[in-house]
Amino acid sequence: MGRFLAIRLLQMPLILAVIYLATFLLVWVAPGDPFARTDRKADPIVMEARKREMHADHWWRFLLYYPRRMFVGDFGPSFSYDMNVATIIDEALPVSASLGLFALTIALWVGTTVGTLAAVRRNGVFDWMSLSISLIGVSVPSFVSAAVLFAAFSVHWHLFAIGRWGSISDMVLPGIALSLAPMAYIARLTRASMIEVLSSDYIRTAVAKGLSRGPVIWKHGLRNAFLPVLSYLGPAAADTMTGSFVVEKVFNIPGLGTHFVNSVLNRDQTLILGTVMVYSIMLLSLNLLVDVGYAFIDPRIDITAKAAA
Amino acid sequence: MYRLLVIPAVILLLLAGAMFWSGGPAQKKADFTFISTDEVHTLDTQRMSWMNDFRVAYGLWEGLYRLDPQTLVAIPGTANPIDVSADKTVYTFHIRPDAKWSNGDPVVAADFIFAWRRLLEEPGEYTYLFHYIVGAKAYEDDFDKALKAFTDDSDPDHKTDHFAKADFSKVGIKELDRLTVRVTLEHPVLPFPDIVAMPPFFPMNEKAMKPFLDDKAFHDSHEHVRRYKKEFTHPPNLVTEGPYQLESWAYKRRLRMRANPNYYDRDHVVSKVVDMIFAKDEQWAYADFTSGGADWLPDVAGEIAGELYARHDPQAHIFPVFGTYFYSFNCQPKFNDGSPNPFADKRVRQALSMAIDKRVITDTVVRSGQIPTTTYIPPNSFKGYKTPAGLPYDIPRAQKLMAEAGYPRGAGFPHVHLLFNDDPPHAEVGETIRRQWRDALGIDVELESIEAVTFANRERNHDYAISRASWYGDYLDPSTFTDKYKPDSENNESGWINTQYADLCQKADIEIDPQKRLDYYAQAEALLLDEAPIIPIYVYTECYVMRKNVFGLPLNVRSMMVFSSVGVRH
Repeated sequence: MGRFLAIRLLQMPLILAVIYLATFLLVWVAPGDPFARTDRKADPIVMEARKREMHADHWWRFLLYYPRRMFVGDFGPSFSYDMNVATIIDEALPVSASLGLFALTIALWVGTTVGTLAAVRRNGVFDWMSLSISLIGVSVPSFVSAAVLFAAFSVHWHLFAIGRWGSISDMVLPGIALSLAPMAYIARLTRASMIEVLSSDYIRTAVAKGLSRGPVIWKHGLRNAFLPVLSYLGPAAADTMTGSFVVEKVFNIPGLGTHFVNSVLNRDQTLILGTVMVYSIMLLSLNLLVDVGYAFIDPRIDITAKAAA
Repeated sequence: MYRLLVIPAVILLLLAGAMFWSGGPAQKKADFTFISTDEVHTLDTQRMSWMNDFRVAYGLWEGLYRLDPQTLVAIPGTANPIDVSADKTVYTFHIRPDAKWSNGDPVVAADFIFAWRRLLEEPGEYTYLFHYIVGAKAYEDDFDKALKAFTDDSDPDHKTDHFAKADFSKVGIKELDRLTVRVTLEHPVLPFPDIVAMPPFFPMNEKAMKPFLDDKAFHDSHEHVRRYKKEFTHPPNLVTEGPYQLESWAYKRRLRMRANPNYYDRDHVVSKVVDMIFAKDEQWAYADFTSGGADWLPDVAGEIAGELYARHDPQAHIFPVFGTYFYSFNCQPKFNDGSPNPFADKRVRQALSMAIDKRVITDTVVRSGQIPTTTYIPPNSFKGYKTPAGLPYDIPRAQKLMAEAGYPRGAGFPHVHLLFNDDPPHAEVGETIRRQWRDALGIDVELESIEAVTFANRERNHDYAISRASWYGDYLDPSTFTDKYKPDSENNESGWINTQYADLCQKADIEIDPQKRLDYYAQAEALLLDEAPIIPIYVYTECYVMRKNVFGLPLNVRSMMVFSSVGVRH
């Protein structure tokens, strides 16, 4: 286990370096100038001076200056706003993380419950309902669900105030909008794997030795049926936490998703690299966490097997 | 079972942690709250060029001149009195003795000189406005050369002083005494007072910026390179001398200004606390306004503005502004790929211009009171300015011109693109005009929609045939429009170069008789319209939505306002 962790942790900087270079390359060849305004055009002297100041006049100067600073959490200044990228991320990431984790909590509880119940009452009315609802959840894009929720509950019925970000109630509608897709996916994953688990020998044994239905399903069954969900949780968490641009826009949430999109539109090279790196670090750590979680839930699973081979 | 519960428990724990991290108690509502769909890009007045940055700057600072928000006439601001020489080339500003910074320091001549010098040493989009000042351009160039030599210097000890050649004492900006600053211009510039009222001419407090100075560059350059970390513009570091000071600035959330207790005219500051709420999404912004979250929602556009205009909403105020929406032709003899450019021929440009029925666009596409126009400078902007007629909507004449140019009924016309950035309403406008050209002239242009930054890049490189364009005046004078099409202008994307036009502009620029000056500009505009490097389409409108109890918010053509006069009646 320790060896496995060490290898994975050693791999991380390498993977991050590759991601950094690939992103840098794409950003640098993209047409358009991060320092140019789209309507007022500045004197070439101005543009050149600004680039020099930001260490962005040559690609090599950029690479010599910025990457090594990242080790101490300094992503440099944003090219289009007078803010440090670290400050922007520091303000936006917790917002996205709260919202994302809130959405994930909803998705996990509701998704697992619905999935399990559907598996138990397979082909029943509940199963069909849950299937159709999760189909809608998977296929309706968040810009539709978010806009509908906003229009219905905030604008029309005034059930939720159109608030400034800050209180729990501001999180409910965007949280639901953001949770629909992972919720539906989790429900379907749980259902599928639960059906498989329920027909396995050890469940039959448990039933045969006289255990009641509840513990068989929720204790013995779910523990194994949950494993595929667990492996989905890593990317799902990273997805919901770095935010959905659309949900953030509709509910005016100052999260990280907005910066992902806008930094690219502005060719804000430092901000693009900053957000991409933060996202990558989160994704890698969460995947690692999921692997460790695997072993924790089912000690029989040997996550080092592959590494040892 | 319990093991399984650990996972949601961990997630809930993380959630609690994240919420704690992002938290911050909700603050009390401000006296006046407005929503901006654009964030403040910078509070460094010398780096500003966005409208919303300017708007906030007029709350935090005040120039030597300031604009009367009702009439937009430049009146004495931080300086009073101001002496202007008879030939209008020497301005002597006497700073008010009671003018104070938000930290209590008196405002002195050195604060202006420090700021102006910095703008020449670290130029920005508006440095060109300083080129009217004697020796300013030369100093900017010399300093830039020195800076380049300094940056490329391989000597680790930086023994050479590269900056010896850049001599600020040759620039026509002089401190006569502690409270007096004198500016000498190269030639008379009648709108100079309006220009001095703009943010690039605001003072800066060097003392407050000092902790953010890049000491190494300063020391290595023999105390010439003054670079400041951006933190000097963030609260609580930013020191300003206008009606307000910056209280807090949560990026992409809210910016709060509080009345500056040291401002000389503090008794006339109506709202003590002003909030700017950032909202990227217009629908959200409008919903928040209607639910009572804000008192004022400026810059409403698109669907919402159209709807408000159609139903004469009493809270909506729609008025024409000092800006024009137009199409621009690439007028170079050949396109970048070497193929011949039909728009090098003036007749083709005129024909395309005359074949557009602009009323269709204002009435059915943009729909919020925009005014169809045949002129570049919005008509009726200045008293005494004889607005030229421009090219009329005249299909038979357009067809005749096309035939003369060798494209009868569009025959043989090359395949060209109409380029625009992928924001509303450009695609719809383009589609309408494309149809009109096809019906009237028999030519079919292809619409090409690209993302805004790439668009700007292509425009700069003259990599287009016809492109969508617009221009807003920076100050209330024809020159802010005519400057754009001078042959050496950075903003002349058309490649249209006309020496007669340049001469007329030059004559006007240095003329001190106001009427003669306007006449020269009118002749220049008439020439531009006849040559048709551009097709004026409509005059922009601004749409403000505000509560009935808001007062002191002027509706002027530059949508320029000062927050100090604005309040909410209870």
